Amino acid sequence: MLAGCARGNSTAVQPGTTSLANDNATWDQGYVAAGRELKKLTGYALRPLSNPNPTSYKQVTQISLQTTKATDMIKWASGYFLKSLARTGELSDLSSLWSAYERKGWVTEQAREPMSYRGAVYGVPLYESYYVLFYNTALFRKHGLRAPDTWEELLHNAEVLKKAGVIPFVATQTGNWPAYEWFQELVSKVDPEFYGELVSGKARYTDPQAHQALQIWQDFMRKGWMTPADFDQNNGAAALKSGRVGMFLHGSWQSQGIAATGLKPGTDFDAFVLPPVEASTRRSVITESGVLAVPRKAVSHEAAMANAANWLDPKVQKVWTDFLQDASANPRSRPGNPVMAGLKQRALEERWTQLPRYGESGPPNLVQGNTDDLGAFMTGASSPRSTLRSMADRAAKEWAAWERDEA
Amino acid sequence: MSSSVEQRRPSPPRPSARPDRRPGRPADRRRGPRQAGSRLAGAGFLAPAVLFVGALLLLPFATTIHRSFFDDRRVSGFAGLDNYTLFLNDPTLVRSVQNTLMWVVGSVALPMVLGLAIAVLTHSGGWSRMARLLVVLPYALSGSAVAVVWNFVLTTDGAANQALRAFGLDSFAQGWLLEWPGNTLVMIIANTWQAAGVAVILFLVGLQTIPPETLEAAALDGAAGWRKFWYVVLPQLRTVSVIVVGTSLVGGLKSFDLIWVLTQGGPGRQSETLAVSMYQETFLALHPGAGAAVAVVLTAIVLLTSWLYLRRQLTPKGT
Repeated sequence: MLAGCARGNSTAVQPGTTSLANDNATWDQGYVAAGRELKKLTGYALRPLSNPNPTSYKQVTQISLQTTKATDMIKWASGYFLKSLARTGELSDLSSLWSAYERKGWVTEQAREPMSYRGAVYGVPLYESYYVLFYNTALFRKHGLRAPDTWEELLHNAEVLKKAGVIPFVATQTGNWPAYEWFQELVSKVDPEFYGELVSGKARYTDPQAHQALQIWQDFMRKGWMTPADFDQNNGAAALKSGRVGMFLHGSWQSQGIAATGLKPGTDFDAFVLPPVEASTRRSVITESGVLAVPRKAVSHEAAMANAANWLDPKVQKVWTDFLQDASANPRSRPGNPVMAGLKQRALEERWTQLPRYGESGPPNLVQGNTDDLGAFMTGASSPRSTLRSMADRAAKEWAAWERDEA
Repeated sequence: MSSSVEQRRPSPPRPSARPDRRPGRPADRRRGPRQAGSRLAGAGFLAPAVLFVGALLLLPFATTIHRSFFDDRRVSGFAGLDNYTLFLNDPTLVRSVQNTLMWVVGSVALPMVLGLAIAVLTHSGGWSRMARLLVVLPYALSGSAVAVVWNFVLTTDGAANQALRAFGLDSFAQGWLLEWPGNTLVMIIANTWQAAGVAVILFLVGLQTIPPETLEAAALDGAAGWRKFWYVVLPQLRTVSVIVVGTSLVGGLKSFDLIWVLTQGGPGRQSETLAVSMYQETFLALHPGAGAAVAVVLTAIVLLTSWLYLRRQLTPKGT
């Protein structure tokens, strides 16, 4: 009833459209544009319903799924956020739809797990971002640097920039979640297989690989290679443009923000994925996917299923990724942004291991608590050892709680 | 010297003024139906307020108390006092209680002392009006706006460190919001910057109500300066002080907005107060049971402290 009141009549059937609840009003134009393409294929456009506060969006959506006024489609996070929602039984099974996507080669094998719960698929990837280091090409040229292909080159770049009075890397815990950006990067670049096992609860946080990653991180901080832990990432694009910082680690969706400062993608700024610490280690990239899911009680359920079945169509994805300036989860869809197009192509050609972002890779309580621990580590309040011990203790507790709930 | 509370104490009603309520008198019988009618009307007028308070305040509060006895598993089961034992064994909540205590002490003592000092210093003299206005102005700002302004000052790249470096005091430049307990202390100072305004207003009102005769009498008796302030002025500000301390106490206990905007209770949940912990546990850590327990404890502390304090301070004798 509460959600019904909150939603009013906004979710009621409107012929020729499907409603799409989401937490980012700045994407409304993109949904509308992609919806026009969808309408050509399915007969249904997209009608975005935005709730700009992510916390309130989460609450309202979870409640509204239980009512008869559920939106036709919802934007959600992948991994354990989607699993938590799927296990309430309020989402539609999209497995057959996924199989059709697989037959067409519109999804990769690795994309399935973060969209699944107990073998069935419950979501379609909304986009697929990479975690990359953006850099200002003019600044690199000025100091005789190029995008590093090895760990040694990366260290060299950082040393040169530091000497020139430029802070080499953006790193912050402001806004909470960015605290895990360097953690996921460094652990996965030390050992990508270990990262995969760690986030699925099979390896321990106190293992040597995790310890090595935090030692590298601490070393970077001590050398003054990282911005203060209260750096505001909203100023990251401007700092990159002005040459105050050298490399900005963030989701590839940040490309839009950097372009907004007047820098042109591919010419004025570019990006690279962090190279592995040891040259022999397999290359990997951290990916982030938003999810489109269809509530079981969607008001226009059939229309929503039709749109979910066509979302990854290259024609729809072209319009959508051109708006986002980011990449699609469909490997056949080439991003319009040259920075992303280049990285995506290289990842496919060299068969990089795609790893899920830390934020969605464990029970939400575990990720939240461990992110807080990493925030404390970034301020020097705790050592690598005590940080990892605390994370390990929480992992043991929260995985046990997750398993117990599953049983 | 009797307190102003005592001066305003209502005199007890005289027996002769008491209405005669003995039953069985004809006048009573005549008034009976009319009285019942007016009672009914009174209840009718009260009903909407009672309903609103019941539905929007008491019912959610009862639900919160009920929820605090259940655990946070997927299928929630009865957990007894488990959520309350977190106050003993969860280091985050222990830190949160410590911070709340610091906030209470800081947000009572600082606005009280500063508010009184500024009010006394700017009480007389035309030049001081502008100074007074500047001090009171932040009170008109919202907590979030104040936090945004202080964020510009306190971040590592912010104005405070830039100013220190400009004066060659590089060694004092630091991450003000990054380390405990420093981050809690600077936030208390930021809060004081805003909260002192209301204390100044209240103390100014208090100063204006002091009868000039008492000051003249004190002057004739040879009291001046500090002695006059301590023995004549301050005792007459007692009622105002009670109000300033009371509101600051509650304000300190429920401080949230400033902390949320400046640090979100971080880094590592080190700068949380109970109000922030309540939000963190319920909405971010998805532990509604633990969040409910924090809410209940916080409410109990606020009610208990306010009641104890006001009961003690606002008795007619003021003892």
